[in-house]
Amino acid sequence: MKKYIFITTMSLLGLAGCRENKVQEQGNDPVEPQVVQSDANPVSIDELIANLEDSHNDQVIVVAHRGDWRNAPENSLQAIQNCIDMGVDMVEIDVRQTKDGQLVLMHDVTVDRTTTGTGKVSELTWEYLQSLQLRDGIGHSTPHKIPTLEEALEVCKGKILVNLDKSYDIFDKCYEVMEKTGTQNQVVIKGGIPYSQVKEEFGSYLDKVFFMPIVRLNDPKAKQHIDEYLEQAIPVAFEFTVPQDTISLIGDFDDIREKGASVWVNSLWPQHNGGNDDEKAALDPSVYEWFLENNIDMIQTDRPQILIDFLRSKNLHR
Amino acid sequence: MDTHQYKIMGLVIWFLVVSLHGVVGQEAHGPETSRAEQILQHLKNPSEDYIVVISHRGDWRYAPENSLMAIQRCIDLGVDVIELDFRLTKDGHLVAMHDYTVDRTTNGKGKVSELTLEEIKSFRLKNAAGVRYSGQQVPTLEEVMLLVKGKIMVNLDKTESKWVREAYEVLQRTGTVGHAIFKGNDDVKTMRDKYGSLMDSIIYMPKLWPENPDVKNFHQDYEDDLDPFYYETIFDTEDAEPLYIAKTIMKKKGDGFLAIALWDELCAGRTDEKALLEGPDSAWGWLLEQGANAIMTDRPEELIGYLSGKGLRNFDSLKE
Repeated sequence: MKKYIFITTMSLLGLAGCRENKVQEQGNDPVEPQVVQSDANPVSIDELIANLEDSHNDQVIVVAHRGDWRNAPENSLQAIQNCIDMGVDMVEIDVRQTKDGQLVLMHDVTVDRTTTGTGKVSELTWEYLQSLQLRDGIGHSTPHKIPTLEEALEVCKGKILVNLDKSYDIFDKCYEVMEKTGTQNQVVIKGGIPYSQVKEEFGSYLDKVFFMPIVRLNDPKAKQHIDEYLEQAIPVAFEFTVPQDTISLIGDFDDIREKGASVWVNSLWPQHNGGNDDEKAALDPSVYEWFLENNIDMIQTDRPQILIDFLRSKNLHR
Repeated sequence: MDTHQYKIMGLVIWFLVVSLHGVVGQEAHGPETSRAEQILQHLKNPSEDYIVVISHRGDWRYAPENSLMAIQRCIDLGVDVIELDFRLTKDGHLVAMHDYTVDRTTNGKGKVSELTLEEIKSFRLKNAAGVRYSGQQVPTLEEVMLLVKGKIMVNLDKTESKWVREAYEVLQRTGTVGHAIFKGNDDVKTMRDKYGSLMDSIIYMPKLWPENPDVKNFHQDYEDDLDPFYYETIFDTEDAEPLYIAKTIMKKKGDGFLAIALWDELCAGRTDEKALLEGPDSAWGWLLEQGANAIMTDRPEELIGYLSGKGLRNFDSLKE
């Protein structure tokens, strides 16, 4: 019990600390926030990147979907900070562009669900977005604001890997921000397109950022897409969608890792993982065994804390 | 007696000892009061040494709001009371649902009042932030009360002026009348006119609103009739009348003061979010300084941790 109180107090202190840093940060002064780490031995970004590039080791990379959206508004700076404090390896965030060209974090096309405002991001100005508050998980407004991509990457810099979703079509601008913040080497971009198309559209970035192809295993051309990537340019990882856990291509995962690509499968919803999803795991964490048994070494989750606890109990997460 | 008989004797004695031990063991534990009953005693004897924690819509960060999983989580965390919302279906069942419609929180569509229980049961609840489906169903009041029985109390929202009879019927059937705190905005005369002597059979916690210019009489009328032992006290500013009533009349009388730490306009800005961003003393600590005996929260785990650290969660403090 004492330990529990201590941990809770520490996390409260940690959260309180973060805010102080953010308040300092607000004066338009690009001072990097001093992060209060709850983890006594934080893993360096170099180690995180090395682990990402190594498809052979047994350490599993935990990716938090939309940040820690349970305890802070999704896609908020606090949701990212919580992930860093929790020991998450990679945070998945969504980027969109305002009418006047500002890159901001936002999942939906409109701001209606997650903020106090209304309208499409692409038809709104940055000035208007700055006047809005982010909403919490049950729809009530909070003191948190919509972050720019730049603010988000500053928080991530040197601390946590980033999966930048919805960035493919506006990648030139996103890359400028990555260069400015010096975070290019921490960012993973993904897309469900064949190699030839990526080479043509994205070729100039392929050796600058991590690109991860998404392959749906029930796609009749799945095997062909995988082989094409493995022959032309082995990606850092593949994201596989696994609607049924009887699909035979699952048996190739160990081969793919042997060849140098990590294997990413979402635990988010049952159609991603043949029914071995986060909600089942919340009732019985041994559901995550399925990922280990099938040589999956990157998992995107809505239950980062439960997944990390499970992996740590097996010595598969530092 | 030969060896065989000794063995049988031994078995018989062993059996007697074991069964006797069982009986004695049971007697030693006695008919203990359940945790829920003890929580009720804490509510009836408000103190500044045990602060009651009321979790809003269950622990909706962990599991979908108003779901059995969110309730179970509160039981596991050691929460005292869960605040839940109930609405009546087309075919007369009370189900846990905050909004008029099921649109925001499930994968279905429509008004609760225009859907049957069977239709609502076919939907699945979404997680917070609208994140897909959880596999959890919308629970009925009966399912909720059977889960909480003996373990935790429930604060029933949305039932106040419409469905007290329907809810009471379920509580009686499940033997949980003492587990449920009804609440409401109407004055005592309205409630008496509508429900008569039923008001004496339920636990009722009126809400004191700062917008009500007559809130002092509203409170006094309840005192003169139902004499509630707790009030949900809402104050948009530090000068709001309900807070003054709580700090003077209620305190003198020994009535419980429930503060709502959810949103700025309910607690003069001393919210859960402020507790996390600026430190718990600035928000929850301030509410305690005002004399709050209970706090409704969206951060049950953190609040319990804070109160425990201050020695304000000594559950056995009543047993003297």
